[in-house]
Amino acid sequence: MAHLPPPTALVTENWDEQTFRVHREAYRSQALFDAERDRVWARNWLYLGHETEIPNPHDFTVRTLAGRPLIFVRDGEGEIHAFLNSCPHRGTVVCRENQGNAKHFACFYHAWTFRSDGAVSSIPGADAYHRDEAFRASMALRSVARLEMHEGYVFVAFTPDVPPLLEHLGDAADYLTMIEQQHAGGMRTLPGTQLYSVRGNWKLAVENAMDGYHFAPTHNTFVGYLRESGFAVTDDDQYAYTLQNGHLLLVLTGHGGRISMLWEPRFGEDERVRTAAHRAEMVQRLGAERAHHVADESHILYVWPNLLLFDIEGLSIRQLEPVSPGVTDVRAWQLVPREEDPDARALRMRTVVSFVGPGGLATPDDIEAYEAVQRGIEATAGGGEIDVSDMSRGMADEIKGVQGRSIDEGAMRGFWRHWVDAVEPGRWSVTGPRPQSFVTGRDVR
Amino acid sequence: MSAVLDTVKRSDVEDWLYAEADILDAWDYDAWLALFEPGARFEVPTTDFRGWSPLGSGSFVTDDWDLIKARVKRLKSRKAHAENPHSRTHRLVSNVRLHAITDPAAPLRVGPVSTDVAVTARDFGDLSHCLRVTASFVVHRARDGRFDSYVGRYDHVLAPADDGFRFRLRRSILGHEVLTAGARLSFIL
Repeated sequence: MAHLPPPTALVTENWDEQTFRVHREAYRSQALFDAERDRVWARNWLYLGHETEIPNPHDFTVRTLAGRPLIFVRDGEGEIHAFLNSCPHRGTVVCRENQGNAKHFACFYHAWTFRSDGAVSSIPGADAYHRDEAFRASMALRSVARLEMHEGYVFVAFTPDVPPLLEHLGDAADYLTMIEQQHAGGMRTLPGTQLYSVRGNWKLAVENAMDGYHFAPTHNTFVGYLRESGFAVTDDDQYAYTLQNGHLLLVLTGHGGRISMLWEPRFGEDERVRTAAHRAEMVQRLGAERAHHVADESHILYVWPNLLLFDIEGLSIRQLEPVSPGVTDVRAWQLVPREEDPDARALRMRTVVSFVGPGGLATPDDIEAYEAVQRGIEATAGGGEIDVSDMSRGMADEIKGVQGRSIDEGAMRGFWRHWVDAVEPGRWSVTGPRPQSFVTGRDVR
Repeated sequence: MSAVLDTVKRSDVEDWLYAEADILDAWDYDAWLALFEPGARFEVPTTDFRGWSPLGSGSFVTDDWDLIKARVKRLKSRKAHAENPHSRTHRLVSNVRLHAITDPAAPLRVGPVSTDVAVTARDFGDLSHCLRVTASFVVHRARDGRFDSYVGRYDHVLAPADDGFRFRLRRSILGHEVLTAGARLSFIL
């Protein structure tokens, strides 16, 4: 039986003692998982997918978001929809393929058929219904309550009372724009989705992405590989930011090269020449300062609650889908320039895949880490004041007004403040004056 | 071009694949590396694989020769945390079939293929003396008190050598729709 959350604070923030603690029930409680479903996943903008996953009329792919099966489809007019994958008649899943191209979705159970824009195209024996035309019109596939897109990233909400998407994204929106601006022709996703599942709470995946402190010890073998290729890994000049609305950002400048933007020796001489040409083009197109922010910094962006963008060596989109308190489904796509030199593309895929994904040289160790956390937090269950995880690292600098480093835990603290506010408002405790300098975000526009 | 099939027996290939399976189950990664030609590739496509080139799609593994060596070095280290302690694996290989490589422009893939982006034999140099070997595998893996099975198909390109064969391409194509919880590919599939 699951331990019920104690009637104490879930997040304890003490500026006199400079400690920040998260109660471990947050990772294992079914009751809190259910509260997250109701208060976060059912009433927020959620990342559904990228429009380039369905480039052509009638292209579709199915996806489960917050436990709900959806059809992500482009209709014959080119408009994008997200339908609940459920026949309005009796509830059958109407699309049982994972992806494809279809002008119609036919429910096999009673043969009701729907167009790719959701409208009913046929109901067998419709004359048995009272006023069958009005009935037919009322039986279109059900859409999600809201769907909006920014730079090709499609977000949906299951309740209508969410703010406009751009308002929700806030400062995070510009980092999506910066990715789109990397190449004059824009970006697209590739097929070949990494679909995998992890035995860990979804919040551990967020923490891991925002945790530069773990990089050197956890990825010792990958750091060694980088060093052998002539690149010195450093944690200098790397910072963490808490953006508005629960979004988070790591800015990494010492972490490594970036295909077509920041050259390093392992990329080879041809790529050095290509990178220099591309950088010159970017300066002309974007101006020197913007080109600097777009090209010379790596970013790891978290968009509350389910999107992670790894704009590091290459570009990976990672989507989190909580299944239960201890299990998370992960889906990851590679985002590439729409137009790219074949040799640069080859280098990009080799470089990206060597790091990210469950078969890479680094991600398996991350997964091992948060699966080990999930197992280990059972040890302190019911343990009162020892049943907490510590995220105090860097609070001393925050008091001095120094920007938090990527190897501190400031971004994690920002995440947990937003989480507790959204899920269990009131279940947190703040002692002492909290410095405000670090919650102002980062605006390079 | 199909002369290689006149001289190579299926039982020879089967014995060689069984020996490879034993080498991997014994975590003898130096011996495993010796089964590759310098310049070879190792690929594990994603579970939704439809014949895409590793340049035109995401993958789980798309290792060139340098990365194969880096992967072996990593797996031999105590600091490969995802495999410390090592998983226990037990591999079964069956349904072994030999195929001549007659058309250098043909996609190197069984089943349906998106021909516009598929990797063709031509991408792997002169293959006139090589053969394709397809086989089925089941890898059982015990780790962290769990037991998972991985089912799929090998689609290899082998070059005959004095003492057996060498991989020019080693490709493991999963039969799964997704990698289930805990099933990360931190070992060699």
